[in-house]
Amino acid sequence: MSESNKSSFVYVTYIRTTPQKLWDGLTKPEFTRQFWVATWQDCEWKVGSPWRIMAPDGRVADAGEVLEIDPPRRLVLSWRNEFKPELREEGFSRMTYLLEPQGDMVKLTVTHEIDRPKAKFIEAVSGGWPLILASLKSLLETGQSLEATRQWPKDK
Amino acid sequence: MSDNPSFVYIIYIASTAEKVFQALTDADMSERYWVGNRLQSDWKVGSPFALKLKRESNRVTGTVLEVDPPRRLTYTFHSQHDGLESEGPSRVTFEIEDQKDQVKLMITHDQFAPDSKVFEHISRGWPLVLSSLKSFLESGRVLRAPWYEEADAA
Repeated sequence: MSESNKSSFVYVTYIRTTPQKLWDGLTKPEFTRQFWVATWQDCEWKVGSPWRIMAPDGRVADAGEVLEIDPPRRLVLSWRNEFKPELREEGFSRMTYLLEPQGDMVKLTVTHEIDRPKAKFIEAVSGGWPLILASLKSLLETGQSLEATRQWPKDK
Repeated sequence: MSDNPSFVYIIYIASTAEKVFQALTDADMSERYWVGNRLQSDWKVGSPFALKLKRESNRVTGTVLEVDPPRRLTYTFHSQHDGLESEGPSRVTFEIEDQKDQVKLMITHDQFAPDSKVFEHISRGWPLVLSSLKSFLESGRVLRAPWYEEADAA
């Protein structure tokens, strides 16, 4: 990102699936629990709805609200970590899923940005997204998520 | 953005480091997951490297810089088509890390000229090629993208 007052992370992956299946994978508890470290997302999926990532022990890991929603093409969330004080104090980030069908696959672009330079939060999600999205791709293409993403980490 | 861009991409694959390294160096496998492009090298340090492009008589050429199976592979990358040959060679590094039940594969493509056009091409290409590699190793099936096969693969 050229603007120095922003931090952003962009990741593109291609998945052999349909936009609807990918949308369901990203939003429905029965899927997210398999590839997103046993978490689920509590949301009514309407503009303005509160949105929360729920850890399996009932704690809220991340929270925000739905800013834009156009299933199964585009979702924009405000997003703040609720877990670690040094991340929470950076405030709300903005996360966008863009799903674009291409033949028998879907191009998924995840853009996660925050209006502050060198944000610790963006550094943290930059480490997390590639593993979560790789596991989602495995789940949709093979029926099996990556083993490392099936459990909530013991040290959290 | 710095004057000399670099591209870094990480993907996790349910496989072993040996299988990932093999796929990154095997001509026949590459032709499947690399959307029809074909690797050519004997993978000795100092040997020529080439990627024969499906649609082009031209190729990407280079030199093998480092080979440490199954952990690390480095080569130079010099596009020879569409006027891109006037840019000097860039550098591709693969780092492969065996983790429990999966492999972490990281590519770093760097040493571009400022305002490099090759950088724009490879930034679009690598996510598709590595997504296809993951599909190939996990399911035996590869991905196809019309835009990639119609365009030039960097």
